[in-house]
Amino acid sequence: MLGLLALAAIVTVFVTVGIVYVLLSEGWTGFFSQESIIDFLTGTTWQPVSDKFGVLPLLGASLMIAAIAAVVAIPVGVGSAIYLSEYAHPTFRSIAKPVLELLAGMPTVVLGFFAIEAVKPALVNIGALPEGVAFSMLPAGIVVGLLIVPLIASISEDSLRAVPDAMRQGSYGLGATKSITAAKVVVPAALSGIMASIVLAISRAVGETMVVTLAAGARPNLTLNPVEEGQTITAVIVQISQGEATRGSVQYGSIFAIGIVLFLVTLLINIIAMQIVRRYRTVYE
Amino acid sequence: MATEARHTTLDAPRLAKKKRRPWDTAFHAYVIASIGISIAALVWLFGVVLIDGLPRLTWDFITSNPSRRPENAGFYSPMIGSIVLMFWTALVAIPVGFASAIYLEKFAPTSQAELDSWARNIERRHRDAGGGGLGKLRVAWSRVWAKIGPRINQILEVNISNLAAVPSIVYGLLGLALFVQIIGFERSLFTGGITMGLLVLPIIIVASREAIKAVPSSIEQGAMALGATRWEAVRKQVFPAALPGMLTGTILAMSRAIGETAPLVVFGGVLFATSQASLNPLESFDSTLWAMPLQIFFWKFEARTDFQDLAAPAIIILLAILVVMNLAAILIRNKFSRRW
Repeated sequence: MLGLLALAAIVTVFVTVGIVYVLLSEGWTGFFSQESIIDFLTGTTWQPVSDKFGVLPLLGASLMIAAIAAVVAIPVGVGSAIYLSEYAHPTFRSIAKPVLELLAGMPTVVLGFFAIEAVKPALVNIGALPEGVAFSMLPAGIVVGLLIVPLIASISEDSLRAVPDAMRQGSYGLGATKSITAAKVVVPAALSGIMASIVLAISRAVGETMVVTLAAGARPNLTLNPVEEGQTITAVIVQISQGEATRGSVQYGSIFAIGIVLFLVTLLINIIAMQIVRRYRTVYE
Repeated sequence: MATEARHTTLDAPRLAKKKRRPWDTAFHAYVIASIGISIAALVWLFGVVLIDGLPRLTWDFITSNPSRRPENAGFYSPMIGSIVLMFWTALVAIPVGFASAIYLEKFAPTSQAELDSWARNIERRHRDAGGGGLGKLRVAWSRVWAKIGPRINQILEVNISNLAAVPSIVYGLLGLALFVQIIGFERSLFTGGITMGLLVLPIIIVASREAIKAVPSSIEQGAMALGATRWEAVRKQVFPAALPGMLTGTILAMSRAIGETAPLVVFGGVLFATSQASLNPLESFDSTLWAMPLQIFFWKFEARTDFQDLAAPAIIILLAILVVMNLAAILIRNKFSRRW
C-alpha cells in the first residue's frame, strides 16, 4: 500500500520527464533537423509561410508583456500586501482576501475579454492608444499585470506577517511612525519573500496565453514600443495549432521548438526565485 | 491573532494631526490606493461582463447548442462538455494527488538518522525471525532505500514545485504530442480531461500537503500509543482529519481547471460541431472537445462581431459557476475547520 502511495508521487516525475521528452523529440524531429538552431535563436523575423523562423520577435513580445505586467503589478501587489498586513482591520482583510482569490482564479479567457472590451477602450479614451487600434501589447500587459497582482499580494503578505511584532514595537519605541516602520523595518525584513513572489509572478506573466492571444495581436513584431501589436510565444502556439499544421510539417515542429524556449525561460525564472528564497531567507524565532 | 492584538494594544503612537508628516500621508495613500485598484479592477470586470452579457443571456442561450448561425447559437453543449471534462480531470488528479500528498507528508523519509535506524530495525527483526526467504529481499531493499530515499524525496519536492510553475500551454503541448500523436487518442473530451488532470495535479498535491500538515502530530502519536501501526494511524486518524482541507484545495483546483483554456486550445478546435454532447463519460473517448472557456475563446477570436457578442453571456455563466465553486470551498472550510 505504501508502495502505491510512493508510486503516485513518482508519477509527478513522469509528467516532467514527459514534458521534456515531448518538447525535445518533437522539436528535434519536427524542427531542428530541418532548420538551423543559430537562425532560430538569432533570427529577427518569424514568418512560417516564407520559411523564416526567428524566435526573437516572439521572445521579445513575451518579455515586453511581462515587463508591462511587472510595472503594473509590483507597486499594486506590494502595496496591497503592506495594506493587508500592516494597516487593514481584520474584518476588511477577511473580505479583501477572498476578493483577491477570486481575481487570482479568474479564467484568463475572461481577462482577455476584459482587455479588449474594457481596458483597450479606456486607454483610447485617455489618449494612451491611437483611435481605432485593433491590437496592442499595452492593454494585454496591463491585464496580465492585474492577473499577477494577487500572486504577489498573497505571498508578500505571508512574508510580511511572518516578521515578528517585536521588530515593529522596537521601531515605534524609537519614535518611528507607522509608515516609517512599515517601509523601513517590516518590508526590508520580508524582502526575500517579496522578491520571490515578484519573480514567480513574472514567470507566470511570461507563460500567460489567452489574454495575449486575444488582445496583444497576431503579427510577430520585434519592437520596444509597448503600444504596437506583438505576438508572444504562447500566442503563436495557439495560432499554429488552430490551423491545419499536420505532424511532420515544419510549422508543427516549430511550436515545440518555441515551447522549449518558453519552458526554459520560465524554468530559469523559477530557479532564480528559489535561489532568492534560499539565500536571503531570514527565519524569525 | 497576533495582528488583532497589534490593532488594539500595540498600535503606533498616534501623532497630533498637524504633526503628521507628508511622507506618512503619502505612504498611507499609496497602500490604500493599491488595494483599491485591485478591488476596483474586479468590480470593473464584473460590471463590463454583466452590462455586455445580461441582455443576451436568455433561456434559449442556455439550452441550445453552438451553431453556425450566431442568432441561434447557445451554450448547452460546452456546459455539458465541461462537466465530462472535469470528471476525467478529477479521476486523474484526485487519487494521484491525495496519494502523493500523504506519501510526501507522512512517509517520505527526510532524516538520514531516522532512516538508518529504520533499516537496522528491519534487519534485526529479520535476524530474530530466523532469516531466509522473502525477508532477505526486504532487508536488502531497506538498505538501498536508506541510501537513496532522502535524495529521491528531495527530487520529488523540487520537481513538484517546478511543475506547478510550468505554463499551462506547455501541458497542452504534452497532451497533443503524447496522447494524440504518440499514443493515438482522439482530440476528445477524454484526452482533454486527462491533460487537465496532469495540469492540476501539482496544485492538488501542494494544497493537500498543507491540509495534512495542519493536523497535529499528537493525533497520530496518540493513535500509535494505543497500538495502531503508523499506517493505521495515518489512514484512520490523520486522513479523515485532513480531508476537509484537502477537499477545499481540490475544489479550488477544479475551479481553476474549469476556466483553463490554454491546454485545450492546443488540440485545435471548431467554432461549432454537429455532434450532440453527452453526459456519459464513456462516450467521451471520441466526442468533440467541448468546454466552456474554449467556446468563449472561439467566439471571441472570431472575426465576425455577431459571434464575438456571444462571449459575454457565456462568461456570465462561467463566472457564476466559479463563484458557486469558490463559495462551496469557503463553506466546507468554515464548517469543518477545526482548531487543534
